[in-house]
Amino acid sequence: MISAKDIVSRAAPLLACLGLLVIWQVGSLALQNDSVPTALEALRAIPAIMGDKEALINILASLRRMAIGFSIAVLLSIPLGLLMGRNRFVAAFFNPLLMVIYPVPKAALMPIIMLWIGVGDLSKTLVIFLGVSLPVIYHSFEGAKAVQEKMLWSGAAMGLSAAERMVRIVLPAALPEILTGCRTGLVLALITMVTSEMIARQSGAGNILFNALDMGQYDTVFAMIIVIGAMGICFDALFELLRARLVKWSEPQFDMPLSFS
Amino acid sequence: MNLLSSPSGARETTTPASGLAIPMIEIDHVSQIFQTSARKDHLALSDISMTVGDGAFVSILGPSGCGKSTLLYIVGGFVNPSQGIARMKGKPITGPGPDRGPVFQEFALFPWKSVLGNVMYGPRQQGVKPAEAEAQSRALIEMVGLKGFEDFYPKELSGGMKQRVALARTLAYHPEVLLMDEPFGALDAHTRTRLQNDLLNIWERDRKTVLFVTHSVEEAVFLSDKVVMMTRSPGRIRDIVDIDLPRPRRRTELLLDPRYQKYVVDIERLFDDTGEAEVL
Repeated sequence: MISAKDIVSRAAPLLACLGLLVIWQVGSLALQNDSVPTALEALRAIPAIMGDKEALINILASLRRMAIGFSIAVLLSIPLGLLMGRNRFVAAFFNPLLMVIYPVPKAALMPIIMLWIGVGDLSKTLVIFLGVSLPVIYHSFEGAKAVQEKMLWSGAAMGLSAAERMVRIVLPAALPEILTGCRTGLVLALITMVTSEMIARQSGAGNILFNALDMGQYDTVFAMIIVIGAMGICFDALFELLRARLVKWSEPQFDMPLSFS
Repeated sequence: MNLLSSPSGARETTTPASGLAIPMIEIDHVSQIFQTSARKDHLALSDISMTVGDGAFVSILGPSGCGKSTLLYIVGGFVNPSQGIARMKGKPITGPGPDRGPVFQEFALFPWKSVLGNVMYGPRQQGVKPAEAEAQSRALIEMVGLKGFEDFYPKELSGGMKQRVALARTLAYHPEVLLMDEPFGALDAHTRTRLQNDLLNIWERDRKTVLFVTHSVEEAVFLSDKVVMMTRSPGRIRDIVDIDLPRPRRRTELLLDPRYQKYVVDIERLFDDTGEAEVL
């Protein structure tokens, strides 16, 4: 039996989107400005983009770079963060380095990276990698630092070696925190993906957006913003599903759900 | 009088042994110095020597901050003493091992494992086959009174239940010595009493050697064969008291027993004039 309250709370995100579109529609009609297309015009431009083979190849190329950059970043950052969290010397060595890199917008490094390794996939993937790495390292570090000493002692008493404790106690114990970092990293991957393509215009979803902007096709610009936003929501929702499965044992958290899941 | 005055040097808490007998645990002139945040040396334990015989239930009793937990961690091999040495069956303790099973006040269960998963962890690590480890673990879970909770996660259990799981998890890998660090300190009075009773019942089955840290005089007297009294900062042994009460012990009977009451009162009196004793 689904109560009325359930229906409202389930429909709330949809209603919010709908409300946003209505405000947009009314606002753009009132403004009467060429650079602000109506919501309906923007929505109508989406099928055209999604039906265009060239556009799809561009978007898929973007997603491939994002997937590679994200995966490599996660695979390298988690071990580094965990080591930093459990070893004072590793932390003392890497902390200052990361504190220097953290506040730098990764896209700002793009021109230098392009200068070194060109405008191709490699430099864009590298920027995504950098964007994802820092939050994942930071959260893995914090997660590993917070692991109860007595839990490690219990493992040591059972005969687990230092390396085994790292993989079989620190990693699972820190997993909720690690996944929080990965979730932030996933959104940052999407952001750096678009901005890297804004700077190195050659292919990709960002490229479609900024080409359209150059040519004054504002409905396409806004349609691409919607497409990118929708991708963000989908990734986040999928990741949240995976996260909830992996750490269903952890304490319930009362944070605002960011996704539709 | 069962109160032994404490001469310096090694103390024998087993029945007077022949020259051949090697004590289960021997703490030999152990001192522990910590560095405080102000970079000053703090003497936490000062020249502790004692032995624990095979099958003895020995409590270390003292006020908070007397270093009694540190002493237990040294026996566990989790902390290295600044001076002196701890031995198990004559062999120097250099690190943790499955022969000494800790049970902590904080439970320290693996939250990503179910009750069964937690209890099976040790046996699986020791190379016991999955089916066998599971059967043993299920029996242990039943023994600590948690039948039906095998698939629960730690977060779904109360404090008392968590400590039962922790005890089962430690018993599962058959340590020769149980190291219990204020195991019931975080529990409410009612749960604490029940767990004390259950611990004694479980202990009666195989009479493992137990080293039990507590700041409760009643708990120490109720459970132990010997109570090692410690003074505060720096931690020194104040006295060792033999608890000569019959076993198996029933709490309701014991509370009415004048001998039990006398032990409790005598120990509390000894603590009261600990300040004066320190001047000597």
